[in-house]
Amino acid sequence: MTGSSLHGGPDPMARAAVVSVPARSVARPWVSHTARRMMFGYTLLAPAALYVMLLVAAPFLFSLYLAVSDASVGDPVAHFIGLENFRAAWEMDLFWLALRNSVVFFVVAAILKSLLGTSLAFLLLQNFKGKKLIRGLVVIPFTLPIAISVLSWKWMYDSQFSVINWVLSRLGLIGQFGSEGWPVWLGDPKLALAACILVNVWRTFPFSAIVLLAGFTSVPVEVLDAAKVDGCTFFQRFRHVVAPMIFPILMIGFLFDTVFTLSDLSVVYLLTQGGPANATKILPVLAYQIGIQAGNLGRGAAIALFLVPLLLPALILVLRNIKRREW
Amino acid sequence: MARVLTEARTAPPMSQRRKDIRRHVLIYAALIPFLIIAVFPIYWMLITAFKQDPDLYRMDHIPFWFNMKPTLRNFDILFHQTNYGAWLLNTFTISAWVSAITLLTAVPAGYALARLKLPGSENTGIAIFLTYLVPPIILFLPLSRIVAELGLQDSWWSLVVVYPTFTIPFCTWLLMGFFKTVPMEIEEAARVDGCGQAGAFLRVILPISLPGVLTSVIFAFTLSMQDFLYGLAFVSPGDQKPVPVGVPTELIRGDVYYWGSLMGAALLVGLPVAVLYNFFLDRFIQGITGGIGK
Repeated sequence: MTGSSLHGGPDPMARAAVVSVPARSVARPWVSHTARRMMFGYTLLAPAALYVMLLVAAPFLFSLYLAVSDASVGDPVAHFIGLENFRAAWEMDLFWLALRNSVVFFVVAAILKSLLGTSLAFLLLQNFKGKKLIRGLVVIPFTLPIAISVLSWKWMYDSQFSVINWVLSRLGLIGQFGSEGWPVWLGDPKLALAACILVNVWRTFPFSAIVLLAGFTSVPVEVLDAAKVDGCTFFQRFRHVVAPMIFPILMIGFLFDTVFTLSDLSVVYLLTQGGPANATKILPVLAYQIGIQAGNLGRGAAIALFLVPLLLPALILVLRNIKRREW
Repeated sequence: MARVLTEARTAPPMSQRRKDIRRHVLIYAALIPFLIIAVFPIYWMLITAFKQDPDLYRMDHIPFWFNMKPTLRNFDILFHQTNYGAWLLNTFTISAWVSAITLLTAVPAGYALARLKLPGSENTGIAIFLTYLVPPIILFLPLSRIVAELGLQDSWWSLVVVYPTFTIPFCTWLLMGFFKTVPMEIEEAARVDGCGQAGAFLRVILPISLPGVLTSVIFAFTLSMQDFLYGLAFVSPGDQKPVPVGVPTELIRGDVYYWGSLMGAALLVGLPVAVLYNFFLDRFIQGITGGIGK
């Protein structure tokens, strides 16, 4: 910053000042070059660092505080009540149901999207005409804002005019509307969670495929050729060359998906709001309903924080991976 | 490539071509289910938006095409009987502000972390990136208190304040990657030519990195529109909402769903965002995976 005011511009005097190093150190003998660079650097870094500290780090700590207080929307004065909120959540049947649903949701969705994503990635790895267009179309679910695409699913899951049911009915797999086997996707406790999981899988399997594809294409052809020359079979090449090289990228993709799937409220909230009969109640929906709708900020924060131990293993795994890589 | 060449040498050209065609057919056949799964919900929105209301509720016809004349009535309702116009305006104003805040903070920060060899810059970079991974569901309750303290509850300004919490970390990380690719020699040459530290950054590095800066703007825009929770929690007056929140919460009155208008409202914003994001998807993936270390 100071550097620019002293030597900015093409003015010949300033040029001379930069080229002749002694002149500069005479001008500011007490500030070394390194110190000036660092000062400049921290000045540039400060706005972003402050923003993130004030609006991410501080709220995170604040949520720890909320979780041990009796704060509510109506009453701005919060009192310390210790671990009462956690204990109350622990004793709430609904909390355990939500935890179970969250875990089922995450695990089933992860299995399905990795199967679909892997097969799609292998297909997109081939050379064929129109690849760019097809790739562009296939990733649309991931690029469409989630609140918007969920609406389409809500309409497709309509209790009477569901297009899915129309197809199933025409195929003879289910009867007419009103008959015994007519599935009410969002109204039947047995189907609702599966319906929500399907939307999550639909949205994120292109992401899995693209991450995997990025991993595959990051493996240099020379390395594969070298392995081939050395007599490795396809599976040996995959096991000993490709897999270790794409592992870090896969881990990071996995972490992102874990965070976004476990903490996402919009799919379930927009489709069922946690119903019917709490069949789709997951932790984020419970935290929202208790924290905002019932106005019990402390209890809501405590429930949201129960997500942290679920997210932590993935986070640590990835941090270790980042650290191991070269800078 | 090498395999294709050797096969071409041994086999006559005709069977080679046939083989190629067979390969294409197999690949397309395998891709069709994926394409249908991915695109059908969007097609369904599109056709619903242009259908007349009675056409939506007839189970005796094939629903995949128009059985009655297409109509623009759903859009007419949208712009004349709802707050949709206001939501559109809100969405764009919010995104513009968020982009501005993000640029003003993330560009200098990305440059400082990538180029100035600050002590601890590696860990700071990782720490900033990790804040992108703190999910909104953990932050929204404490943030609701902060929004209330600032007097911004029930106004879209609250979202202008809150959205940079995820755009700044992501864009800083993205820009770090960009700045690292600019050769050190260019900066040194600028310094020799008389630019100060800030001069070299503003006049030489920034213009070269313009594609990176523009990419960040796109992400600030598209990531802002991916939010639902913050908008739902902080903004309740009908005319203050952004589109992704307004459409699902305001266009459904009681148990009545105006599916045609709903789908039209969703697509009008969703499709442009999806197309834009599509072009930059590889940068997004690189940003979260390859950006590390490069």
